[in-house]
Amino acid sequence: SFYSPRGPHFTGCRSREQETFRCWWSAGIFQNLTEPGTLRVFYQTKNALSEWQECPDYTHTVKNECYFNKTFTHIWTSYCIQLRSVRENITYDETCFTVENIVHPDPPIGLNWTLLNVSHSGLHFDILVRWAPPPSADVQMGWMSLMYQVQYRVRNASHWEMLDLESGTQQSIYGLHTDKEYEVRVRCKMSAFNNFGEFSDSILVHVAQIPSKESTFPTTLVLIFGVIGLVILLVLLIFSQQQRLMVIFLPPIPAPKIKGIDPELLKNGKLDQLNSLLSSQDMYKPDFYHEDPWVEFIQLDLDDPAEKNESSDTQHLLGLSRSGSSHVLHFKSDDDSGRASCYDPEIPNPEDLAALLPGHSGRGDNHPLVSRSSSSIPDLGVQQTSEVEETPIQTQPAVPSWVNMDFYAQVSDFTPAGGVVLSPGQLNSSPEKKKEEENEKKIPFQLVSDGAYTSENTARQLSADVPPSPGPEQGYQTFPTQAVEGNLWNGEYLVSTSDSQIPYLLPEAPPVPILPPVSGYTVVQEVDAQHSLLLNPPSSQPAICPHSPNKHLPAMPTMPMGYLTPDLLGNLTP
Amino acid sequence: MNKLKVLQAWLWCVSLWPCWLSHAVPLDCKDETGSLAQCASISQEKLLDRVIQHAELIYRVSEESCTLFEDMFVPYPLHALRSQGGNLCHTKPFPIPGSKSEIQQISDKWLLHSVLMLVQSWMEPLIYLQTTLNRYDDAPDALLNKTKWVSDKLLSLEQGVVVLIRKMLDEGILTSSSIFEHTLTPYNEQSPEVLESVLRNYNLLICFKKDAHKMETFLKLLKCRQSNKLSCVSY
Repeated sequence: SFYSPRGPHFTGCRSREQETFRCWWSAGIFQNLTEPGTLRVFYQTKNALSEWQECPDYTHTVKNECYFNKTFTHIWTSYCIQLRSVRENITYDETCFTVENIVHPDPPIGLNWTLLNVSHSGLHFDILVRWAPPPSADVQMGWMSLMYQVQYRVRNASHWEMLDLESGTQQSIYGLHTDKEYEVRVRCKMSAFNNFGEFSDSILVHVAQIPSKESTFPTTLVLIFGVIGLVILLVLLIFSQQQRLMVIFLPPIPAPKIKGIDPELLKNGKLDQLNSLLSSQDMYKPDFYHEDPWVEFIQLDLDDPAEKNESSDTQHLLGLSRSGSSHVLHFKSDDDSGRASCYDPEIPNPEDLAALLPGHSGRGDNHPLVSRSSSSIPDLGVQQTSEVEETPIQTQPAVPSWVNMDFYAQVSDFTPAGGVVLSPGQLNSSPEKKKEEENEKKIPFQLVSDGAYTSENTARQLSADVPPSPGPEQGYQTFPTQAVEGNLWNGEYLVSTSDSQIPYLLPEAPPVPILPPVSGYTVVQEVDAQHSLLLNPPSSQPAICPHSPNKHLPAMPTMPMGYLTPDLLGNLTP
Repeated sequence: MNKLKVLQAWLWCVSLWPCWLSHAVPLDCKDETGSLAQCASISQEKLLDRVIQHAELIYRVSEESCTLFEDMFVPYPLHALRSQGGNLCHTKPFPIPGSKSEIQQISDKWLLHSVLMLVQSWMEPLIYLQTTLNRYDDAPDALLNKTKWVSDKLLSLEQGVVVLIRKMLDEGILTSSSIFEHTLTPYNEQSPEVLESVLRNYNLLICFKKDAHKMETFLKLLKCRQSNKLSCVSY
């Protein structure tokens, strides 16, 4: 090792190209040993375990140097050298090494640079630095594999920037400033060793600044100030229009409100007042009647009190099915309806129809539309919009009571047994007295399916025996003014306009020419100033007696497409 | 009678010839070109380049492994052992010259065979090194990965050199790795991280680095000769 500080010691051994090496020593503080020849170097190669040999060449020009030339330099072998004073036979220092571990390559040569590019702003530029390996290193043969390190700094600065090791002979330097002068230098070492050689001479790099730089300076300033001004303006605007912006961006959520009822009442503990309010009809009736004229047509069937006692309203509304009584299409046979005369006297097989109407029991039990008129007007109002998917049921030809039913039939009554009493197209009574009216021709109407809405599939099943309804063009369509027989719907209500196998009721006008059959639900065309709903008046009154359902739609009187106001009703009376 | 015996011996040899082959590592590519892993055709020059790349990488990784091991396990005063180049590296039956001039005079054949022997001689010691390192408590994963990687790459290097020998020297050779001598005696179970074990492994790593450098140097010299005959000749 090189540790002994006082006496004679080796100061170092170095090889430049891995082919020769030199060792130096110092006499230390022992001045009496400085004379040449007093201290001698002996070496031994560990491989051969040979005896100690003296330094093959003491360099004459340099003091205290021992030079091992090519023949004496072996790599992959371990050398041990000793510093001895022969006269005293004392070994002052000894060290062992391998030649590869003492190789410090010469600096690379031929360092130069070329400009790669200059940035758009003209402030920065990139260069490519190139060099050549030191001539003493035999890189070509592979005797030495070198790694290079490039360093650069601003001229006369104190700190050198170091780049990563490079095994090639060129490297790029990015991001240099145009107005500064740089120094670049490079050094190398053997790969797998850590002994760097000396640095090469520095080269100067300088790129003149392009004068277009001045124009960019005020532009950035203007931009910055503009942005700041904008931000200030925006903040001021927001603060000044705070309220308005709050409304625009955060609209108030409407609180739940029932018309005419103070929201306070809805809070806890004020149920009594609420009930009294609700029960008082005066508040509701006029408005409701104006807005929902069809409600007027709802009538209570008081003919069968016995039936009404059978079940409660709630159960009916919820569609709770009873034990299967006659859950078939149930209809009241009103003599003056005259419907029976226009159809074949066949009466559908109850079992067949029962099979088609699953889940029903009783008459009209499950019809949610059915409700006590007085107490359930709000419900009806709610349910009105939910009827859009009601599909008509094409009745068997022998179902007379269905014949006169429009697609949308007005629910006139609700039987406690579960049947829905519908009024036919005729409207004899005035709307005000609907509830007490009992002359209305009522056709209990049972809808298929639990929800009292006939699905298309079941409706198709119903029509299985019946030839398909007329082509799509006569199915569900949008025909605001056109009179399509049997179809009282506005096309908007219909779900599909495609191949409608869906049968629908073929309403027929009663033989009694009282009124043309009016659909219970017609389309509202507009609302006039008095909040009356204007409906499509029926355009014609075709033959009352419909054809058999086997044909296409029998000629039916044009059905009004809207809802009839009481006023218009009078106009319809022939 | 003699003729009969000769015939018998010859028949024996012929019949046992598949056995010889079975011991050998099968090289799938029977054609003249062969690569290390697949039967893609590759020129001899490219193969040599790849072999050199392998040797360079192995050398570099060996150096990194040595540094890692030294930092982790070797007490600082003993770091000087490294500069001494490793003592008692397991000797090989043949001397390898160390001076540049002597090396330049080595024939191609001798270069390749030396490389092959070096590679083969290090396969088992590296496995031994790996097992001992695995028994260390706190051997860094990087070190374990590197030694594992080197073991794998040595196999590839061996295959490449075998193909080179076959191609450049027109010699068939068996690549069975059981040919070389077992120079490392298997040690008994010693507690790892005892200084002796540490020093032994340290020495092993140093020696391996040296031998990897030899492989790389020989192969590069070979390449130099292949490409440019003039500058690689000693003068």
